Formats: sequence, C-alpha cells, structure tokens
Amino acid sequence: MDKYFSVFKISLAHEFAYKLNFLIWRFRNIIQILVFFFLWSSVDSTYFGYSQSEIFAYAFLLIIIRSIVMSTKANDVSGYVSSGELSNYLVKPINFFKYLLSKDLAVKMLNIAFSFFEVTILYLILKPNLFIQTNPIQLILFIISLIFAVFIFFSIIILSSSAPFWVPEIGWGVQFLVISIFVEFLSGAFFPLDVFPKPIYEFLKLTPFPYLVFIPIKTYLGNMSTFETTKNLLLGGLWTIILWLLMNKVWKKGLKVYEAFGR
Amino acid sequence: MKHLDVRFYLKIWKLMAKNSILSLLNKKESVIIFLIGKFVRYIFYFGFLYFLVTKTNGISGYTAIQTLFFTATYTLVDTIGQFLFRSVYTFRQLIVTGDFDLVLLKPINPLFRSIAGGPDPMDLVTIPPIIAVVVYIDLLLNPSMLHTTFYILLIINAIIISMSIHVFVVSLGIITLSVDHLIMIFRDFSTMGRLPIDIYKSPLKEFLTFIVPVGLMFSVPSKALMGIISPLGVILSIIFGITLFVLSLKFWQFAIKKYTSASS
Repeated sequence: MDKYFSVFKISLAHEFAYKLNFLIWRFRNIIQILVFFFLWSSVDSTYFGYSQSEIFAYAFLLIIIRSIVMSTKANDVSGYVSSGELSNYLVKPINFFKYLLSKDLAVKMLNIAFSFFEVTILYLILKPNLFIQTNPIQLILFIISLIFAVFIFFSIIILSSSAPFWVPEIGWGVQFLVISIFVEFLSGAFFPLDVFPKPIYEFLKLTPFPYLVFIPIKTYLGNMSTFETTKNLLLGGLWTIILWLLMNKVWKKGLKVYEAFGR
Repeated sequence: MKHLDVRFYLKIWKLMAKNSILSLLNKKESVIIFLIGKFVRYIFYFGFLYFLVTKTNGISGYTAIQTLFFTATYTLVDTIGQFLFRSVYTFRQLIVTGDFDLVLLKPINPLFRSIAGGPDPMDLVTIPPIIAVVVYIDLLLNPSMLHTTFYILLIINAIIISMSIHVFVVSLGIITLSVDHLIMIFRDFSTMGRLPIDIYKSPLKEFLTFIVPVGLMFSVPSKALMGIISPLGVILSIIFGITLFVLSLKFWQFAIKKYTSASS
C-alpha cells in the first residue's frame, strides 16, 4: 500500500505545482453553476417538481458532486495509449488502475476542499433559500450513490480511453464525444433530467449516465418514493459492476493489441 | 503597400484555410467523431432549452421562441468567432518557443497571422445549419426590415468585439506568456451569453455588459431584432465595438514591443 500512498502524496504536490491550471478548472466549474443558478432563478421550477429551495440545492450540490465524481486524472490515459507512454507504467511493479485511483484520490480531495470553500462563498453572495437534507438514511443512500458514481465515471473514462488501442488517432475525438457531450448532458450535470418528457427521461435512466450526478442529487433531495430510490440505487450498483467488468475486459484486450506507437 | 491590400490577405487566408483542411483530412475518423459530437451537443442543448421554455412559457419575460433565438444567436457568433480566430489557441506555443520570430520575418501583418492564421474547417460544416436555425427562428419572430438590418449590423459588431478580445488575449500572451487560460476564461464567460443577459443580477449583469461584453455580443443583437433596443442603443453598441477594436490594436502595438524572442 505504501507505493500507492506515495503516488497519492506526489499527486497532491503535483496539483500545487500547477496552481493556475487548478484554479482555472475550479473557476470554470463556478461559471457553469452560476449559469445554472440564474437560469433556474428566472423560471418556475415547480413545473418540473422542484421547489425553489430544492433547485438551488441542486445547483450547490453540483459543485460538490462534480468535484467528487468528475475530478480525475484518468482522462490522460487516452494520450498515454496513443503516444506509447503507457509502456512507462506497464513496466513498473504497480497495478495501473490502483495507480490511477490513488492519483484520483488526491485530485478529488483537493477539489472537494475547494468546492466547500466555493459553496460557502457563493452561499454568502447569493443568499439562496437552500434545502438541507436531515434524514440520516437519505444521507447514507446519497453517499452510496456517490460511491457508485465515482466508479461508473472511472470505468467510462477508461473505456473511452481504450479506443486508441485499436485506432490511435481517435483518442481525443472519443473523449470529446463521451465525456464532454454524453456525460455532461446526460448525467444531469447541466440540467435536471426530468425536464425531458417522461418517455425520454425513463429511457435515459436505463443508461449509466444519470447515475453520475442526477440520481445522487435526487437521492439527497429525497423527492422520490422509497421504491423509486431503491430501484435507482440497485440500477446504479448494477451499472457499476457491469462497467467495471467491461472496463477490465476491454483493457486486457487492448493491452494484447497495444504496439507502443512512437516508442 | 501589401499591408493594406485586402485581396492579398484574402489570398493568404485562403491558403492557410486550405492548409488547415488538408491537415484535418489526415485525421478523418477523429473529425467525423468530433463533428457528430458538435451536432449532438447542439441537439441536446436546444432540446433541453425547448422543453424548459415551452413548459415555463419562456424566461425573464421573454417568450419561448425569443429565448431560443438568444441561444441560436449565441451559437452563431461563438462558432464564427472560433472559426475565424482559431489560431489564438496555438499562439502561446509560438511565443514560448520563439517561433514567433518566423512570423515577424514574413511580409504579412503578424497580428493577422496570430489571430486568423488557422481557421477551423470543422466549423465550415457546422455554420450553415446554425445559420439555417437562426433564420428559421427569426422568421417565427416576424421582425421588420429595419430590425433585421440592426441585427445583421450588431452581429458584425459582435464579431469585431470578439476579434478585439482575441487581439487583447494574444497581446497579453506576449507579455505574460499565458494565452490558453485567458482565452478559456473568455470562453467560459461567453457561455453566460447563451441565455438573455437579463437573467443575471447586478453587479454580474453590468460586468457581463461592460467589462466582458458578453451582453453586447450575444444578447443585444437578438434584442435589436425583437425591437427592444432603440436606434441610439444600436449606435452606442457599434461605437463601443469600434472603440474596443481601436484600443485592442493600440495594446497589440504596445505588447509587440515587449516580445523578447526568448528560446529562439
């Protein structure tokens, strides 16, 4: 475990070495939240089943959940594969996924710390009427849904980063399509998915994307029936297992065809 | 007098655009995926906004169609800006490696090469459908000829403002060596113009109107088409655009003298 703890410590130091990059990334998150906040301030959210305090809680939770789920270093993997840099990691006596998860833990910790700071500042500036969940069971379910979300996101990133094993040129294209488009729009990070008509909303819930942001927030808000909450948690758990197994299988197949281009 | 010859620069621009297209054709698979991504993004965003505003009957006093028009105008101006001034994203590399020396040696205006030296051919594919969407929503709003003329003038003004901001960014890039972050900050603020600027509260609204002129670029043209802006407002917006452009050129002239040719 010592070597992974060292990776964690080095990653933390690395983030402090590139302070401006980190601050810009945080700043970009805040802009997105401000757009979300002001958009929903100017419409009647009750049309979609949210009280104003719930929709503002949604906006603030987005800052924290994005920090927990979407701050990662695994999005560099695509570049490692297409440039051949992956070889540097394969020859080391480490488990590559554990290595990435150790780096992610450092990045997530730093982002979470900053997100709480930002939430406090934004709360003091905007003074919104926020919904605070006090039911401990709901909070435990929320934490479980977040754990699922972290592993689902990690699996999706590694799966999309595996494309260059077969076609090295398409790495950035696949990442853009999967992470910047599908994950951003279909996870609920951009808007609550129940804005969509019911058939589209129900269909989206069959995909893994809503379990990244939307379902954790809905679980926190507790505005679903017990049956619905349980069903969503089970589906989230199921997607976590399916994607984790799929990721391992695709990665192993990818390694068999890996040719270390450029090395 | 080549520095003032529009035809000469048009020819240079076409050559650079051709080079960009040829280099992109080497990455066909990526280009196809990227284009699919761009179209899917537009569909998702417009889809979300459509369901939101039709159910709530618009936002901040604007009807559903008007709100969609604001977003379509944002998409048009933003995409044209990215298409024309794409080379700003690679400018930092020129400065930190000292390769900017090679630009200075050529008999063309270095500012032209720095901001317009590599149009993004992918936007050539996305711009026509965006224009079609703008025209379609515009027809639903049934504007007068005068308001349409104001709209077109203000779109041109928005592109001039966008160009001025890009000139400021590359100028600051010469002094601070940081272009990537500055342009991303501008792009992030720009995204706030997707929706009518009226949704933001003071002092953010004023900041987005006068400091980072997102409101002038994206909201004012749409408002002019809807007849909400007076002719005086249109004239003042254009004066602002021209003033910003002149100031940006002055700043460029100041910044270029600070170039140290480091690393070359």
